[in-house]
Amino acid sequence: MNPALTIARKEIVDGLRDVRSVMASLFYALMGPAVVGLVSMATHANAKPESESAVLTGMMAIFTLVSTFVGGMNIAMDTVAGERERRSLLPLLLNPVSRRNVVLGKWLAVSFFALAGLVVDVLGFLIVFATAGTHISAGPGRLLPGALGLASLPFLAASVQLLISTVSRGVKEAQTYLSLIVFLPMGIGMFLVFSPAAKRVWCNFLPLVGQQLQLEALVNGDGTSLFEPIVLGCLTVGLAIVILLAAANRLQRDEIIYGN
Amino acid sequence: MITIQKLAKSFDARPVVKELSFEAPDGTITGLLGANGAGKTTTLRMICGVLQPESGSIVVDDTSSGDALDRQRRIGALLDHIGIYSRLTVRENLAFFGRLRGMPADLLAERIEAVVSILGLEAIADRRTHGFSQGESMKTALGRALLHSPQNLLLDEPTNGLDIPTIRSLRDLLRRLRDAGTCIVYSSHVLEEVRALCDRVVIIAGGRIVAEGSPQELCSQAETTSLEEAFIELADATRSN
Repeated sequence: MNPALTIARKEIVDGLRDVRSVMASLFYALMGPAVVGLVSMATHANAKPESESAVLTGMMAIFTLVSTFVGGMNIAMDTVAGERERRSLLPLLLNPVSRRNVVLGKWLAVSFFALAGLVVDVLGFLIVFATAGTHISAGPGRLLPGALGLASLPFLAASVQLLISTVSRGVKEAQTYLSLIVFLPMGIGMFLVFSPAAKRVWCNFLPLVGQQLQLEALVNGDGTSLFEPIVLGCLTVGLAIVILLAAANRLQRDEIIYGN
Repeated sequence: MITIQKLAKSFDARPVVKELSFEAPDGTITGLLGANGAGKTTTLRMICGVLQPESGSIVVDDTSSGDALDRQRRIGALLDHIGIYSRLTVRENLAFFGRLRGMPADLLAERIEAVVSILGLEAIADRRTHGFSQGESMKTALGRALLHSPQNLLLDEPTNGLDIPTIRSLRDLLRRLRDAGTCIVYSSHVLEEVRALCDRVVIIAGGRIVAEGSPQELCSQAETTSLEEAFIELADATRSN
């Protein structure tokens, strides 16, 4: 088996055995559907159906973007910063495996958990929407490319988190930065919800912003071409790879071995 | 065989290893002795390919020093960081590192059983390593270094936390490996251990080699019968120069 896949498999098994961490990630991923479900129940009695749907859509988009960042957060923290702290990174680097393969393997594992967080979040929202009677207008032909654009985001989130974990000197430092990073999709999402006039055409191709707009369009059934989500997905994965290379480069440095 | 020529390394413009040269032949246990900060660990890390030397060459088994991955294929190492994966069992830890080295499944299974048996890990082999004592963790890490039957073995304080029977069986194992032609580099602060085990000793002080030879030769050189006295004498002589 390829060394990167060997590392990814080990990290996934290791991560799944950390039951507390898995439960915390699951809780985070389901927090959005739970909050939106409660808001839906609270506003259902006195709001107009159109305004209720707009509020739910905006909130759903924000929480869904956040879920891609929380699913892999714990494992990203554990896999480099945690390994340095537990002194297991050096024994790993003693093996005849390039640093790029080490980073690639860890990235695949973090992406797996980030993607799982997204899937749990989306399933939670589908249940909430079905229960609240909110109709999703998009048909299957629109759902697939939209989902592709969205599915690229966990890979970007995993790259950013892995780079932060590589730069951090320990788990506490990584935890601080990774918690702050979660506010990035939250902030962008809220800005777009409250300032719809700020949206431009190029925003559709900007990673994170594009996914938010795709998500809103998907739920509202606004017709856009397949071109936008596919280009957005490619740009997002491209950016993820650039950041991943930066993390691999960081892992080459001496500081990763002897730094405190 | 490991041959090092004029190896140098600095951290933050502070030289830690200065033009260090020595040879560790096959079928020999070469001891590395030095005070804290002498440059032993940095030297071992450079040989193992985790730190890049600033200058100098490292040749392992007569191959070029350029490719660190090639060196890593020929070396088994237990350095100062022994970290093992706490949510994996001993066997799973060993299997992971064996797969990383590309060992075929049947050979890997055979070697895991051999290493578990040699190190007396049978009772804990299927337990997750969380909560292991220092000695149990050290044995697991030692197993990781021995798993792929390396031609060159680098050990940094391998007896830390081990009980007396395990230390004795480790010594016997290292002697057997030496007799079978393995090149062993052994770094330790326990001078009695070095005297009992090592055929040659290299003393490092201030990033340089200050003396090398058999324990008896070093004692003669320092005009003493104790290796401890010889070490102090030879390391101090360089410091005062």
